[in-house]
Amino acid sequence: MEKYYLGLDGGSTYLKAVLMKDKKVVGTVVYPTGIDNNGVAKKIVAALCKKYGISRADIGYIMATGYSRKILEVADDDISEITAHAYGVRVTAPKEYRPGMVIDIGGQDSKIIYLDANYNVKNFTMNDKCAAGTGKFMEVIAQILETTIDQVGALSLESTAPCDINSTCVVFAQSEVISLVARRVDRRDILAGMHLSMAKRIIKMMKKSEKGGDILMTGGGALNTGIHRAFEEEMMKDVYVAKYPQFNGAVGAALIASERGGV
Amino acid sequence: MAEPNGINERQRELFIRKSTRVAASYLKRAKALSEMPDAAKPFFDVLENIYIKLTDIEKPEDRKSIGTLCVMVPAELVYAAGAMPVRLCSGSYTAYSIGDDYIPRDACPLVKAVMGFGKVRALPAFDNCSLLIATVTCDCKKKLAGVIDTVKNTVPLHVPPLKKEDADTEVFLKELYRLIPILEKETGVQITARSLAEGINMVGNAQYEMSEFLKYRRHAPALMSGTQVLSVMNAYSYMPVSLWAEQMHRLNGEMKQRLEQERFVSRKNQPRILVTGSPIAFPNIKVPLLIEEMGGVFAADETCMGERGLYDPVSVIDPSFDGMMRALASRYTKPCTCPVFVDNSQRIYRMKQMIKEHKIQGVIYHVLRGCLVYDYEYQLMEEAMGKLDIPIIRVESDYNEEDVEQLRIRIEAFIELIKMHTSA
Repeated sequence: MEKYYLGLDGGSTYLKAVLMKDKKVVGTVVYPTGIDNNGVAKKIVAALCKKYGISRADIGYIMATGYSRKILEVADDDISEITAHAYGVRVTAPKEYRPGMVIDIGGQDSKIIYLDANYNVKNFTMNDKCAAGTGKFMEVIAQILETTIDQVGALSLESTAPCDINSTCVVFAQSEVISLVARRVDRRDILAGMHLSMAKRIIKMMKKSEKGGDILMTGGGALNTGIHRAFEEEMMKDVYVAKYPQFNGAVGAALIASERGGV
Repeated sequence: MAEPNGINERQRELFIRKSTRVAASYLKRAKALSEMPDAAKPFFDVLENIYIKLTDIEKPEDRKSIGTLCVMVPAELVYAAGAMPVRLCSGSYTAYSIGDDYIPRDACPLVKAVMGFGKVRALPAFDNCSLLIATVTCDCKKKLAGVIDTVKNTVPLHVPPLKKEDADTEVFLKELYRLIPILEKETGVQITARSLAEGINMVGNAQYEMSEFLKYRRHAPALMSGTQVLSVMNAYSYMPVSLWAEQMHRLNGEMKQRLEQERFVSRKNQPRILVTGSPIAFPNIKVPLLIEEMGGVFAADETCMGERGLYDPVSVIDPSFDGMMRALASRYTKPCTCPVFVDNSQRIYRMKQMIKEHKIQGVIYHVLRGCLVYDYEYQLMEEAMGKLDIPIIRVESDYNEEDVEQLRIRIEAFIELIKMHTSA
């Protein structure tokens, strides 16, 4: 019988798992990371097995990625997020996507990966010591505006006059937003402004020298339609969104697991 | 009681406690990378003496120490004046945090560390320098020359920003001549044609041993950990040159043995990485350590605390005093690949040469925060590497340990990238 392969992405906020067979995604599970990465990883493997009616022995290889990749005992090996995301794109990118740039917006970091025509990593850049341009930023602002992260995208799309948010630091931007709220600015405009400010911040990380190919968004951040729109507006280019963006790293890890497992 | 320096006894105690602990932990990690050659131990002992046991440099008592900054200060002249040159460019995180109070925020950490040692007076190798030759090179070093004067008797040495034309070398030659009476006054020893020739010879011997060593360093699989090699080169700053050359000769003997017995410290599939960019000075060896701890081979460095300071001997064509001085002026500017020079195309040539000789598969471009001149040249280097199909990544860092995890993920991903690149 064909074996299953598992990719685990131990992110800063969520632990994501992807079950793969024949290099196709069979199922996905996401748990909050909490403080016990290793325990959550064990639970997630058990939950997946139960959900898809397989036993641990049916899983040929487990590959871990993400911040906690080194400590997940259930994993056979680990790989860096950069490589995992680059691999994930092979499965998650829409058919018409020509490999070029990948924008990944995670909970505590954002990265830009440049791919050659064969999906190999050419180069990459990551944000430094700063949460601006990450999922955390959205979360903080959403909280002030009494909404949740899954709502901010749709709300911001209703904005007619996005406001300026000038601070690039999360904490300063937070106080900026609080003063906007005090001035009774429509929260949809604030959210649209937040997305533009994030997009600008991430675009600054991009390398001018890397050209060619299309742009793809991955990571939990890509679930936010507002930030997607902001990127298209700021870059004046089409931006694709990966299938199951939140799981892109885990998909990549599962794909590498499949290769290691000898598919 | 507060001292004129602004650092009191208690602060100094705490400084020593912290700085020695940091230095010890990095030495330990460097030693643990792979089995160290026995002959490398004396170099590590030197770093331990200077940074942990806090002893002065091992040299005859009557020989004065003269501090230098940058690779453009000719050690030969200092030896000719009967003194011992000590390179004070430091990677101390602890001294950096002291210097941070005296140097503007956006300046590079290296000058902050130097200023920190100047203020704290806890490193005998530094404190016992009776004079400091501070180069006027990049903006940070230039202004450091201006402010370190408050804690140490300093003479600025002007390095011309241009180096192509003979007129540029003449400028530097004049500077070197200006240095002679200053050195002579400091040591009471006259610099003669004979002593200068001796100085050139002494340093030349070290460069010869270095060139021998590089033959072994180029070998793939590697014969010795690159971080350990860098530590050996860093120890050059704190050893009389003849002693360093002598120990290097022993190390070369052991490398030869390792080669004959095929005792390698790396495996075939480990990517060979070159590090270029801002200086990597002990104990700030986190980038080389991460490369090797994450499974790469730190196979070569194009930095001023490593190979650059040592690869090229002074070539004397005219053995008169002026001839030797001209040879010095030429050697310390023309082949130097420091980006303070306006036109530095040599650096690209040098890199191409090193990539070929050392069988390099990927380049890490190290930028210390605030080190503008190196950052300037990144784009040119990236372009050149692109043409050679050599992956390159820019890694920015500072003198603290807070960015280690961010560096780790970048370096790990880069190593994976090279592996896939070379297998593709």
